[in-house]
Parts: sequence; structure tokens; C-alpha cells
Amino acid sequence: MDGYLITILSNIGMVSFVALSAYILLLSGQISFGQQAYFGIGAYVAGIATVMWQWPLAGALLFGSLAAGAAAGLVGLATLRLSGIYFAMATLAFAEIMRIAAELFVYRRDIGGIESGPDGVDGFRDIRYFFANEFSPLETCLIVYALLATVLAILCIIERTRAGRMLRQIGEDPLLAEVHGINVMSVRMIAALAAGAVAGLGGGLYAHLMTYVEPKSFDIMLGVHALAYGLIGGLGTAFGPILGVLIDIGLLESTRIFHGYRMIVFGGLVAVLLIVRPRGLLDEVAVSRIRRALRRRRDAGD
Amino acid sequence: MAAVDLAQNTLDGLMIGSSYALLAIGFTLIFGVMRRLNLAYGPTIMAGVYLGTAAFISFGAPILVILAIVVIGAAVVGLYVERLCFRPFGEAARTASMVASFALWMQIEEAAMHLLPRHMNPFPPLLSAPPLQIGPLLLRADHLVMLAATLLIAGAVTYFLARTRFGLAIRAVIDQPRAAAIVGIHVQRVMMLTFVLASAVGGLAGFLIAATDAQVTAMIGMWATTKGLVAMMLGGLGSVKGAIAGGLLLGVLEAHAQWFLGPQVRDMVAWGLLFVLLAFWPGGLMGSKALDRTMAVGRRV
Repeated sequence: MDGYLITILSNIGMVSFVALSAYILLLSGQISFGQQAYFGIGAYVAGIATVMWQWPLAGALLFGSLAAGAAAGLVGLATLRLSGIYFAMATLAFAEIMRIAAELFVYRRDIGGIESGPDGVDGFRDIRYFFANEFSPLETCLIVYALLATVLAILCIIERTRAGRMLRQIGEDPLLAEVHGINVMSVRMIAALAAGAVAGLGGGLYAHLMTYVEPKSFDIMLGVHALAYGLIGGLGTAFGPILGVLIDIGLLESTRIFHGYRMIVFGGLVAVLLIVRPRGLLDEVAVSRIRRALRRRRDAGD
Repeated sequence: MAAVDLAQNTLDGLMIGSSYALLAIGFTLIFGVMRRLNLAYGPTIMAGVYLGTAAFISFGAPILVILAIVVIGAAVVGLYVERLCFRPFGEAARTASMVASFALWMQIEEAAMHLLPRHMNPFPPLLSAPPLQIGPLLLRADHLVMLAATLLIAGAVTYFLARTRFGLAIRAVIDQPRAAAIVGIHVQRVMMLTFVLASAVGGLAGFLIAATDAQVTAMIGMWATTKGLVAMMLGGLGSVKGAIAGGLLLGVLEAHAQWFLGPQVRDMVAWGLLFVLLAFWPGGLMGSKALDRTMAVGRRV
């Protein structure tokens, strides 16, 4: 595989984490404009762990993901009782506060003769873990996809359990869910924690693959794109948001067929697509059809 | 001297805040009738302002012609957004509307960049009169025009909503769309016209802002969306008075924060205030009386 293809694949993989993060909250009926904040927290924390504290990668990624999850929990305490535009704006406000905080955040130390660490607006450069440990681009790409596959598998399993159905029911009608004895607040809290941790994991990977992260990397554009991917790809399955990322980055950005007009094409395409399929390509109906077809084929095979 | 600084900051903040208030009035009208967020509101304004700027650069159009181009341009692009993002969706697909409007945001912004590729473009200034001196305070004449225009438009919109037949129809659609339809109001037409009206108000705001700065940058779309949204949320949703209060508060707050803490912290203070308000006092400036109603509206987003 050539380098360009690997880079594109890695990008698709990393953005998928944020898309999945927004998707988890969408399932619970909450629209967040702020999942990029947890992506940023994960990126900075994991980067600091490998560069400044010389941690191994696995520990750093885990710590970054946990830190992002913890931040999401704290924000959740203040915002989860809000709904609709109130929740969306509160999460956006938090994400913008974090982005500006990153612009002001300076933590420089001398590491092995080189001054490194986050440097305000200039961002956090030289996160060279993969380079220093001689990982090839293919290997790093495989790490991204192994983690993405793990997250996807967990999400798919949860969606088939009682907890997953509770989450969807809350998304459909929180009042009805409450009447059925579901503790809406705690399920939403767990969803928010999970969404934060997933975005944080993606951020940690991003920082190490890109070797740098700057406050601009997690502005509002990333958050709203992540939200859009779920709606384009479909809200019926966790593969939906990934399909959305594939369509945008894989098809439009990387092939460069619409160079200079990509957004004009993509914007129009998405608007028209949503008119035809307001819950995305792989919406609940499509997913249950596919499941039924698969089951029929399996039964016929037996 | 500190007292003079405080007074000067407050004055500057009120002037800038009046443009935020105009943006928030347009936003709140759209949100009121649609109950959906129009993320393409800022880019709609950008499209109008860019068309006006292009006319200024290419033909040296006089300022009143530019004003007309900006307002009509914004209204037409607003109609396009309404047709593609709001008209086709029913009650069930509010998120889809919002994401579709985001998609058009990207589209309109790229189209505008093809029209004027440079990051910064000149715009004809509103007035070239020297600043007025009131005691130790300085007041720019064009800022005064902006404040006057805001109050005038806010008054006109309030009068229009309260006293005209069409305004009554708008309020009916805001309160109870189904009941409005039952008594014979053409709800979709009211929604469309309100949308176009709000986009035109936004265009006017964009014109005033560009003329006061005597320049337009590519950031104006994003800027208008975020400032308008924050001002609207600060004031509480769905009220013209709240939009004005929110806009002026945001302006004054930013002016003081910029003076005492610098431009980066300025933005942080505005977002921080919004976060705290939403977390602890979600009704906005209009207080808890409006809360129940606006929460009910918010739930339908």
C-alpha cells in the first residue's frame, strides 16, 4: 500500500472515533456540538503522558481516554438535565472554553535536551512516540483500526443488550422511558461518559499519528462534522457514522475529483440526502431489513 | 482614570452589542417559528455581504445600492436555505434540519470564497465623520448609527409582531402551529416569509457591521452564527426583547473582558457566562417565567 492511501485510511479511522462519540449521544436523544473537546483533552493528555512523562503508548492512550471520560462526566453533571438547543449550546460553550484554554496552556520542559510540551497557540509539537519506536505507517494504521474495531464491537454488543435498547428508547421518548422505570439521568450519564472516553481515545491516537496537535484541530467544525457523519451514514447502527466518514473523507476529500468545489458538492448532496432519508442511509428500517435478509440467508444455508 | 475606562468600555460595548442584538433578533425569529436551529444563518448573511462587496469592488456601486444588494441577497439565500433545509422536513426530523443547514453552511461559504477569494476585502465605510467628544468619552458616529438602526429595527419588528395581522399570524404559529393551521393560517407560508424576513434583518446587521469595520473577512459567516447564537441564548429564546438584552450584555461584557484580560480571555468569558447561565439558569435574562415555555420549545429541537 502506498503512503497516501495509508494516511487517508488512518484519518478516516481517527475521525470515526469522534463520529461514534457524537452518535452515542444522538442515540440517547442529545445533540452535542462539543464532542471535539474530549478529542482535544485526549490528544493533549496522551501526548503529555508519552512525551513529558515517558509513559508507554497503551498507558498514555488509556489515561487520555479516561481523562476525557472524566471531563465528560463533570460536564454531564452540569448539562445533562438540559435538552435540545440548550444542551447543544452548553456543550459548544464548554468545547470553546477548552479550545481557548488550550491556546493559553503552556507546559514546557526539557526532555532529553529538547524543550517540548504544549506551547499555547502554537500547539503541542514533536509527539514522536511512533517515530522514536520505529513504527511504520502501516503498523500505526493497524493500531488505529484494531482499537476502532474493538470500540465498534463493544458498541454493537451493547446495542443488542437491554442497556442498548434502553438508550434508544430514551432517545425516542424520554418521558415514556421514565414511565417504564428507566432511570433516564443515569443512562444518559453513562452514555456521556462513554462518548467522552471514545472521543478521547481518538484524540490520543490523533496526537501520536500526526505528531502534533493544536487548539485549531478541535474547533467547532470537527464537532459539527462528527454530528453530521452520524446523520449521513445513518442512526440505525454504529456502522452508520463510519459510513458517513467514509463518504466525506474517503470519497470526496481524498479523490480530489471536486477540487475547490468539494463543499459545494458535499453540502448539496447532504441536504438532498437528508430530505430523502432524514435518519441517514443506514437508518433503523434499513438496518432491520439487512438483519432480516442476513438471517434468511443463514437459515437457507442450514 | 479607571472610571473613565469603565464608562468608555461600557459605551463601546453597547455599540458593538447593538450589532449582536440585530443578529440575535433574526436568529430568534427563525427559531421561534421553526423551532429548529438554522446554522446557515451566518453564512446567509455572509453571502449577502459578499455580493455587496463584489458589487463595490467591480462597479464601485454607491452605498445605498450596496445596502439593497446585501439585504436582498441575504433574503434570497435565506429562501434557498429554507427550501432545502426546513420546508421538506416535518416535526420528526429536527436534527436533520440542523445538519442540513450545516451542510449548506459549508456550501455557501465555499461559494462565497469563489466569489471573493481573498481573506480580507474592502467595504465602503458608513460615515467618515470624526468621532464625537462627550466629556472625556469618545463616540464613533457610525457606531451611533448602528445603535439607532438596531433600536429602529427592534421597534419595527416588535410593532410588526404586536400590531399587524401578519405579525399575529407569526405569533400564532410560534405558540401553536397546529391550532394556527386549524384557524386557517397558511403555516408554511408564514414560516417561509418569517425566514426571509429574519434573513433580511441579518443582512442588514451584516451590512452595518461590515460598513463600520470598512472591511469584510472570510470569518464573518462563522462570526455571525456564533455571536448571534450566544446573544440569543443569553437573552432567553424566542423573545425580541431578550435578543436585544442578550446582544447588549454580550457586547458590554466583551468590551470589559478585552480591556482587562485580553482578546483570548474575552471569548472565554463570553462562553463561560453562557455555560454557567445554561447550567444554572437556563431561562436566560428573561428569567424563570419564560423558562417553562422556552424549555418546552427547546425540547422540540
